[in-house]
Amino acid sequence: MSTPGRHPEEPALVPENRQRRTLARKLAYLLAGTNYVPLPHEQFEAALTEVVDELCAAALAEPPQPERAALAGARLVELNCTSDKSLSSTMDVLVQGLLALPELRPVERFAEPVVRVVGALATGYVSAAQRETLEQQQGMHASLLKAVRDAKYNLRSAQARFDEVATSSASGILVTELDGTVVQANGAIAAILGHPPAELTGRNLFDLVHQDYAPVLREDYQAVLDGRTERIKQSQRLVQQNGDPVQVSITASLLRGTDEEPSHFVTVVENDTELVLLQNELSRQALHDVLTGLPNRQYFTTQLETALHQADPHYGLTLLHLDLDAYPAVRDGLGEQVGQQLLVLVAQRLRTSLSGEKAVVARFDGAEFALLLENTPTTPLPASLVHTLRQELAEPAYVGEHGLPASASIGVVHRPPRDREPRELLRDAHLALRRAKAAGPGQWELAHPEQIRRDRELDALAATMPGAFENGAVEANYRPLTRLADGAVHGVEVLLRWNHAELGPLPDERCRELAEVSGLMLPLGEWLLRTGCQQTGWWRRQLGRDLLLTISVTPHQAADSDLVSRVLDVVEETAFPPGRLLVALPSLALTTDLGEARGNLAGLADVGVRTAIRDFGLGSAELAAVVDLPVDAVWLDRALTGRAKLPDSPVTEALRLLPGLVHRAGAEVIVDGLTTADDAGFWLAAAADLGMGALVGRPGRADELAATFGDPRWRS
Amino acid sequence: MARTPAPDWVPPSIDMTVPSVARIYDCLLGGSHNFAVDRETAASLERFEPHARAAARLQRAFMGRVVRYQVSQGVRQFLDIGSGIPTVGNVHEIAHQVDPSCRVVYVDFDPVAVAHSELMLRNTPGTGVVQADLRDPDAVLGSTAVRRLLDFSQPVGLLFMLVLHWIPGETRALADLLGHYRDPLAPGSHLALSHITRDGQEGRVDGVADVMRESRSADRFTARGYDEIITLFGEFELVEPGLVGCARWRPDGPGAVTEIPSINEYGYGGLARKP
Repeated sequence: MSTPGRHPEEPALVPENRQRRTLARKLAYLLAGTNYVPLPHEQFEAALTEVVDELCAAALAEPPQPERAALAGARLVELNCTSDKSLSSTMDVLVQGLLALPELRPVERFAEPVVRVVGALATGYVSAAQRETLEQQQGMHASLLKAVRDAKYNLRSAQARFDEVATSSASGILVTELDGTVVQANGAIAAILGHPPAELTGRNLFDLVHQDYAPVLREDYQAVLDGRTERIKQSQRLVQQNGDPVQVSITASLLRGTDEEPSHFVTVVENDTELVLLQNELSRQALHDVLTGLPNRQYFTTQLETALHQADPHYGLTLLHLDLDAYPAVRDGLGEQVGQQLLVLVAQRLRTSLSGEKAVVARFDGAEFALLLENTPTTPLPASLVHTLRQELAEPAYVGEHGLPASASIGVVHRPPRDREPRELLRDAHLALRRAKAAGPGQWELAHPEQIRRDRELDALAATMPGAFENGAVEANYRPLTRLADGAVHGVEVLLRWNHAELGPLPDERCRELAEVSGLMLPLGEWLLRTGCQQTGWWRRQLGRDLLLTISVTPHQAADSDLVSRVLDVVEETAFPPGRLLVALPSLALTTDLGEARGNLAGLADVGVRTAIRDFGLGSAELAAVVDLPVDAVWLDRALTGRAKLPDSPVTEALRLLPGLVHRAGAEVIVDGLTTADDAGFWLAAAADLGMGALVGRPGRADELAATFGDPRWRS
Repeated sequence: MARTPAPDWVPPSIDMTVPSVARIYDCLLGGSHNFAVDRETAASLERFEPHARAAARLQRAFMGRVVRYQVSQGVRQFLDIGSGIPTVGNVHEIAHQVDPSCRVVYVDFDPVAVAHSELMLRNTPGTGVVQADLRDPDAVLGSTAVRRLLDFSQPVGLLFMLVLHWIPGETRALADLLGHYRDPLAPGSHLALSHITRDGQEGRVDGVADVMRESRSADRFTARGYDEIITLFGEFELVEPGLVGCARWRPDGPGAVTEIPSINEYGYGGLARKP
């Protein structure tokens, strides 16, 4: 059995710590030899141990958390490990070292998370280093200006020093008389303006500024001269020699002579098209999705926060969370590139369809988009809004020769209370989206406070289930399966039960629902099968009876590509006869062929395990499945068996005929949910084979079931 | 070295493509507080001395250890002369890691370095910056920042890191100059210095001096020997292990030394205590 991952809060075991420390020590030795590290060596080792711990936590998290690793990368820059080979040697040591840690074994499972995490570390490192370089360079430019000012500029005595500063500066520097006449200009400002440097001296600063802005700028300089403000810092438009405007940032302050009287202005001009644009681009990339150019989740969240406060309280806002239904199929079937083109197209359409509204469209992960509308009196209500969006998306999107479906599932939050946290709202919308998706493709759901509460309880319960399983609060239950003809026990079904500390015992169906949510079902299902095989195997020997064991699998398990090998492993390990194990797959999984469900059923039959279709109804597709697939039994839907058998109802008639049809298709019929003797009588008359339910025996622990072994039903 | 032609507006008599020692050192330590002209000079230095970056790192690490040691001896105020660009791991950062009440005054004569220090330190209490030439002790010791922050009745840590080889001339004169700094200090004060040496370097140091001259920096490089440097401590008593290659001064980890013996001995470092 594979155990669920260790809980993150749980302290690491001591041997892990030791190995991580060894790795950190190796890294510290390597980095200290090529970088100046402003810490005593043991503190440096401790800092790197934290980095290694973070990386382990990031790789172990489910899913991996690259953002934590990116922070660890930034930490390396903080520790000044920025020499040219530091990053590559750090990555070498880490990839090798992390994969050698016992907690990151087996390598096949953790290679990918580790590589991702180390990659994220590199990204974090590079952007931190870039940021630091920009900051330091900017600091130097500020220092230049300050140096010039602090030197209490005196043209004669400080000439040489100013020239050093001005010449080596990447920023343009203009020294002007108080009336704006240029006294000195450096090479950088000449380059920005496209003038030969000599031509600049003698000209007036205000003539170099775009005509529309010159008068205001003159006033600003006057304010500095009058001492009303210490300096000017603003965006400005200068005019190049050829007449083209150029966007710059200027910083201007006053120079005083030895007598402390104002003598000149010094104006530092930075070309916005270089440094500033680079910075803008960096921050834009941090807030936008690279593929679609839309805001990302982080940016959207801050927009949401602002909108919550700004929106007209009477109309409020509307939040939509949207997921493209067909995206996984498009990406897997036609390739990543086509998938990306689809996303770009959808992004355009969403933007277009909301162009009349005050709206933000963002892309979240995968094929998820979020839409935020600040409502006005003319904003359509959610139903018509969704209708508009669906119509816009319904038109097939053409990518190359493929007309791609762009239908979407949508979760909507309409007019939430203003004091709700943005994160909570996003969760509400996501829950509504999940419910919409559960109802099938192309559906939408409105977040409803009561529904939200229930969904959250379900999620909270699902989240604690792995812990409960670890602690033994989830146990196996058994109930008998009898032959309708003589009432003799034919076998047992093994079921789940969670003895919840507060909610009491949770039945099998509820357990499966929760385990599907948390992804626990695969390991839990394997454990249940093993436990059932061991217990029933022991009963078979003890009672000397050829008892059958039945077990149901969930849609997720039915589609698991490893289902057959998992079952086979357990059967071999417990020496349970495969021919006496009946595995029931849900009918929906088989008729819609979710994943590999049909192949799994055939595979089980191939290795001699008996198979059944559960939740069997009256549909012809289900009957066809019995004919087409090697099915040994069908398990009638409890909703059908529980119906009152009204004498003239066509349903009653169909149910009566059903066992005969199933027999002709070559399978037995199991009736679940028998509660009264009349039920049993009806189905016996209809020639059903086996029955279970309250009438036959309720689920109980192994010892509770064993207590009934004295009953004559167990003997024959 | 590539040199940009002088723009027309600069009077021909003025020297203009001038790198700064402080910014070159920052560049060698991996900082970005420097300009293209500094980086070019650093690259020329590296052609002469391929291990220049390692040498810079060792010097900086030595400073870290020497400051930490003094803090451990109860010194809580520092006067760092020739502090340069406040690149990573400054005296106050190191001292504040142990005791945030430590006070530090930085002194340099490069106006850009000083301006930068002021910008960086404007929100750091207990620190100050002085623009002055170390050859003028009265200007340094009489400056507002020194008078405001340092209490000369208590021990002071006086630091001359990688600066004294930029003071040309007779060593005797230099020793007298340092006397002006040593004299006003209280017992228990320390003097730490590091100094590039010609000892055992087989002419490599001369190459560095040539690069600086070639770069047209105003700074002239004067390497001194052990016997000269040791006189700079005056009556102060050298702390173990005495005046040694910087890497050998109480190394505390792999960052303190390199595998290249000549680099380990590139500069002498020592710390002495006023009795």
